Amino acid sequence: MDATIAALLTQDGLTNGSIYCLLALALVLVFAVTRVIFVPQGEFVAFSALTLAAFEQNKLPGTVWLLLALAAVAAFADVLSRWREPKRMLRSIAGTSLPSALAALLVWGVASAQMAFSIQVLTTIAAVTAMGPAVYRLAFQPIANATVLTLLIVSVAVHFVLTGLGLLFFGAEGVRTTAFTSASFTLGSVSISGQSLLVYAFTIFLVIAMAVFFKFTLFGKALRATAANRTGARLVGISPNFAGSLSITLSAAIGAVSGLLIGPIATIYYDSGFLIGLKGFVGAIVGGLASYPIAAGGAIFVGLVESFSSFWASAYKEVIVFTLIIPVLLWRSLTTTHHEEE
Amino acid sequence: MKALPVTKILVLAVVAIIALAPTIAPAFYVTLLNYIGLYSLVALGLVLLTGVAGQTSFGQAAFVGLGAYTTAVHTTQYGWSPWLTLIVALAITLTVGYLLGLITLSMGGHYLPLATIAWGMSLYFLMGTIEQFGGFTGITGIPPVSLFGFSLEKEDHFYYFIWIVVLAALWAVANLLDSRPGRAIRALKQGTTMVEAFGVHPGRTKTAVFVIAAVLACLSGWLYAHLQRFVNPTPFGINQGIEYLFMAVIGGAVSVWGAVLGATFVTLLKTWLQDLLPKIIGEAGQFEIIVFGILLVLILQYARDGLMPFLQRFVPVAKRALPDAGDRLQHRAMPPADEPVLTVEEARKTFGGLVAVSDVTFNVNAREVVGLIGPNGAGKSTCFNLISGALEATSGSIKFMGQELIGQPASAISKLGLARTFQHVKLVATMTVVENVALGAYLRGSKGIIASALRLNKVDEAAALAEAMRQLERVGLAEHAHDAASSLPLGKQRVVEIARALASDPILLLLDEPAAGLRFAEKQQLAALIKTLKGEGVTVLLVEHDMDFVMGLVDRLVVLNFGQKLAQGLPEVVQADPAVREAYLGA
Amino acid sequence: MVLRLVSAATAAMFIVSAVHAQIKVGVTVSATGPAASLGIPEKNSFELLPKTIAGQTVTYIVLDDASDTTKAVTNAKKLISEDKVDVIVGSTTTPNSLAIIDVVADGETPNISMGGSARIVDQSNPKARWVFKTPQSDSLMADAIAVHMKANGVTSIGFIGFNDAYGEGWLQEMRRSAATAGIKITTEERYNRTDASTTGQVLKLVAANPQAILIAGSGTPAATPHKELVARGFKGKIYQTHGVANSDFLRVMGKDANGALLPAGPMLVYEQLADSNPVKKVAKEYVTAYEAKFGPRSTFGGHAFDAFTLLNKAVPEALKAAKPGTKEFRVALRNALENVKDVVGVHGVFTMSPGDHNGLDNRGRMMMIIKDGKWFITK
Repeated sequence: MDATIAALLTQDGLTNGSIYCLLALALVLVFAVTRVIFVPQGEFVAFSALTLAAFEQNKLPGTVWLLLALAAVAAFADVLSRWREPKRMLRSIAGTSLPSALAALLVWGVASAQMAFSIQVLTTIAAVTAMGPAVYRLAFQPIANATVLTLLIVSVAVHFVLTGLGLLFFGAEGVRTTAFTSASFTLGSVSISGQSLLVYAFTIFLVIAMAVFFKFTLFGKALRATAANRTGARLVGISPNFAGSLSITLSAAIGAVSGLLIGPIATIYYDSGFLIGLKGFVGAIVGGLASYPIAAGGAIFVGLVESFSSFWASAYKEVIVFTLIIPVLLWRSLTTTHHEEE
Repeated sequence: MKALPVTKILVLAVVAIIALAPTIAPAFYVTLLNYIGLYSLVALGLVLLTGVAGQTSFGQAAFVGLGAYTTAVHTTQYGWSPWLTLIVALAITLTVGYLLGLITLSMGGHYLPLATIAWGMSLYFLMGTIEQFGGFTGITGIPPVSLFGFSLEKEDHFYYFIWIVVLAALWAVANLLDSRPGRAIRALKQGTTMVEAFGVHPGRTKTAVFVIAAVLACLSGWLYAHLQRFVNPTPFGINQGIEYLFMAVIGGAVSVWGAVLGATFVTLLKTWLQDLLPKIIGEAGQFEIIVFGILLVLILQYARDGLMPFLQRFVPVAKRALPDAGDRLQHRAMPPADEPVLTVEEARKTFGGLVAVSDVTFNVNAREVVGLIGPNGAGKSTCFNLISGALEATSGSIKFMGQELIGQPASAISKLGLARTFQHVKLVATMTVVENVALGAYLRGSKGIIASALRLNKVDEAAALAEAMRQLERVGLAEHAHDAASSLPLGKQRVVEIARALASDPILLLLDEPAAGLRFAEKQQLAALIKTLKGEGVTVLLVEHDMDFVMGLVDRLVVLNFGQKLAQGLPEVVQADPAVREAYLGA
Repeated sequence: MVLRLVSAATAAMFIVSAVHAQIKVGVTVSATGPAASLGIPEKNSFELLPKTIAGQTVTYIVLDDASDTTKAVTNAKKLISEDKVDVIVGSTTTPNSLAIIDVVADGETPNISMGGSARIVDQSNPKARWVFKTPQSDSLMADAIAVHMKANGVTSIGFIGFNDAYGEGWLQEMRRSAATAGIKITTEERYNRTDASTTGQVLKLVAANPQAILIAGSGTPAATPHKELVARGFKGKIYQTHGVANSDFLRVMGKDANGALLPAGPMLVYEQLADSNPVKKVAKEYVTAYEAKFGPRSTFGGHAFDAFTLLNKAVPEALKAAKPGTKEFRVALRNALENVKDVVGVHGVFTMSPGDHNGLDNRGRMMMIIKDGKWFITK
């Protein structure tokens, strides 16, 4: 292996690592607020790319049906659980079902009018983000204070549902979307595409933004507090349901933007989310599901290991990646102190 | 287990259904029941590992694969007998499970579940990549099992074999949970400090549970290979690992029958969806996983602990007969009155730059009740933890019955005859009061996992429960013996903790802020109990914040403030000490 | 058109045929899971199939096996013991097809697999006498590639394939075909279907400097290394397998697909076949009906149609021996399937024998080249 190949592999590893990193950040965000290990995060990424691809092929994205289904079921759930208090019922519907329904309408409008690329991009982000409140309302809100294990199982079940719907609405084949920029830069012997640089930039921006938001702003701290103490959060005026809904909506938005950024560099399938999500999860866990910078580092590490092992022994790539994780986990586990739950 | 009548009838009914199924059920249901049996074995391991011991594993499918591949490769390529490969598979699983357990179980928090995913994925891809193992395509032509010359090739014959194995495993695991090592396993979720204080080695216990779960999974895999007579890596991937966890959680991961219920429910639900959905929606295939997922979410929203606890509400719980109190366990030699039991000399504990305990010296003599008191943050609890082994002193010496304690783990210290209670009550909520107390007698029994699983522990078990009853009578809680520990008010829970400590036949009883959070009447009852114990010659060191509580109770007081010893002596003298008054009143 | 006529006839004949015993065709396909892009067109095709054969009603019981071997076995057992089917079609993948061999043999039910590997119908396994398959075997296709390579002076190739049964089957067949043709495989690389990047593998492939590279993947995921090779400026020939023969692959590849070569069944390009080729007419009918209902063609759907074509020929023979729903009928159907001769399907002409349960010959494959988003038969 010469220096050129090493440089190319490093660049490839950084790009993949950044993709995993975007997932890892969203996972840490959701966990920090809700204690949910949010397995379906990868689906947001996939749905975003698939939606834009459908726009580009002048097809009506399956997202419309997905959003309408979510809106209808969420509204039904609200009516069922809150019909005695019409005011709260309407407020809840306005907060969860309405965004999905409006987004569905928007997607339908943009698709039938065949609008400009930039509008398609913005619509895609809006559509995927609008799924957040409904997913939280339907799956997690009713059991927000259950154990981490129960929440995880529900999370996996939601992943199954979304993947199933993805296959139904988008089909089994993959898509590549148009790049935002065709620029490319040369660094020594390595050429880096403008699109990859966008991915790096967005990743770095998110790491800093999230770390700052949760560490230094009062609102961020309050959001984090809801995970530890739901009653306490309510006392200081933050509704845990609002915090949970907001965190999943934010992560849906991150997923949407990630999907658009990754779409041009990698083929995205309805089930792409699982494996990249799993590797993002590795990063998130290495960060103890708490630290954004360490999670980012973990995700980049996975990307690099993967890139180099796919060069050396591609058949054993996953074996190498997942075996190397174990000592890292052991080291992280032994160097972080656990406070026994009292 | 002396089963309760209603439960016994239910269990017998289930066994009867299983026995008769091949003669009455359609052939396809025998097929399904075969898979349900195989899945139940794996889920049973997860009930033990995840539900009871609190260690989440996504990697069980890999152990199933280990069992299936060991037999597939050796029977097809080397012509070995399936029985021989069973022994080999179990040996491999024991080794791999032990090593993996050793490495991964020391991980806390969320590191463990991810580690199980990691080795699950590794083993899956390894199975697929090694060409001698048939690669991703798989191995065909695995021979059926024969038993005494009778070939179990037919599905309904193999069915009986599978279910005999499953029922035996259920019996063994249920036995295990209701025994000395079982109580230790059930206590693991409570955190390591408590179990260590009664001489349980949490690491070893967790590893043992992990290995048991792995062995059950391996057994399932071995059966799978000979049922299917074909293996490839697909059924041993991470998706199946997740599904096993689904089964355990949906079934209710706290009872052994939850495993069977979960496996049955998930398998039948999928089959029914496959039959029903095309009739409703008009198209086959793609809707099953969607509806399946939605139903799982709904079930967990309405029965978040799984189906078994949900159903158990409808089964009347008859009380088990109380065991008779008895004094059949060995006692240790108690020191004569006034002989020094505990000698603390210049004990010091620093956390970084902070000195929490600064060169404290005091002693406790046999049959004496000593109070270690001080205002908040005085270093009492740290001092207490140094003695009990929960923390290690930086310097100085702490001798118990002449033996140095510093450097010894809590489990070793408890062996010497030191028993403690906890400021934040640590009773196992899922166990009854008498079981909680019997955990205290852990070190006074010896029967291990295998003996307990096979019910070879009857004498020991009866003696341990009799001892627990004796201690409950001693503290006046005998009538609560079969109540769930979590159902008692805090004051009584504290007393149960004392009974549990007494069950270990201690030379010295350490009480950690026993009066904290108690109401006045409860405090009075507690004080009366300690006085009674004192009258019976028990040596007590109690750490307390509440000076009034200890005044009439103790023989001597040691007062700490800012990590240093402020005063010691008779209670009245200490109380009159101006320095003490200042520390307490802040004047 | 013909299909529509046939289905109209079906409706008319329903009352008549109701008095006869109906023929039950059990189907297990991988409509979800990793092999969904293959299984879905297969599943779709069953909706197009005529509902009668030789005047007998045919019911299709279609089950999804989620690309999982255990599920495929459960489905097969269910079809045999619950539905008492006369024949099982499926499954989609090689492992799933291998897994159900024992089940169909024990249940004495003929099985027509749609899996790729020749191993499925290897008659040295006595149980496989119940098993037939419609797709061209990987070995047949690998030979086609090797012959084409040799004819074009290629002596060294690199291989990159899925890290699953598909890639593995191709690697084994290509090793054999290449050795026969005197071609050296310089590098053997693997990747996962949903991998975001294959840069590492491609760098290694290119570094060995082979004259051509074979990519063994199915559907759009096969585009990932292909695009990477183009981006890295690989100048040699790029071969794909028949797994990519659908329009989605062309869409994702765009202009990067130009010049790519692959072996495929004739139905993919029936328009370009000579009018004398018997396949042309059959393929036209099938593809027209499929595209009207489900969109662009996929060769995998054709394998399902060919299973019907075989049954259409064999069932009348079997009916002479016994009534559907009986063991005798299934045995007769198996025997009839083993003896079909010159049956024209959309993927070629089938002639079965006790030693050959696939029955396709060189007419079942042709080398194609991709130009400007279209498939063309190479000369």
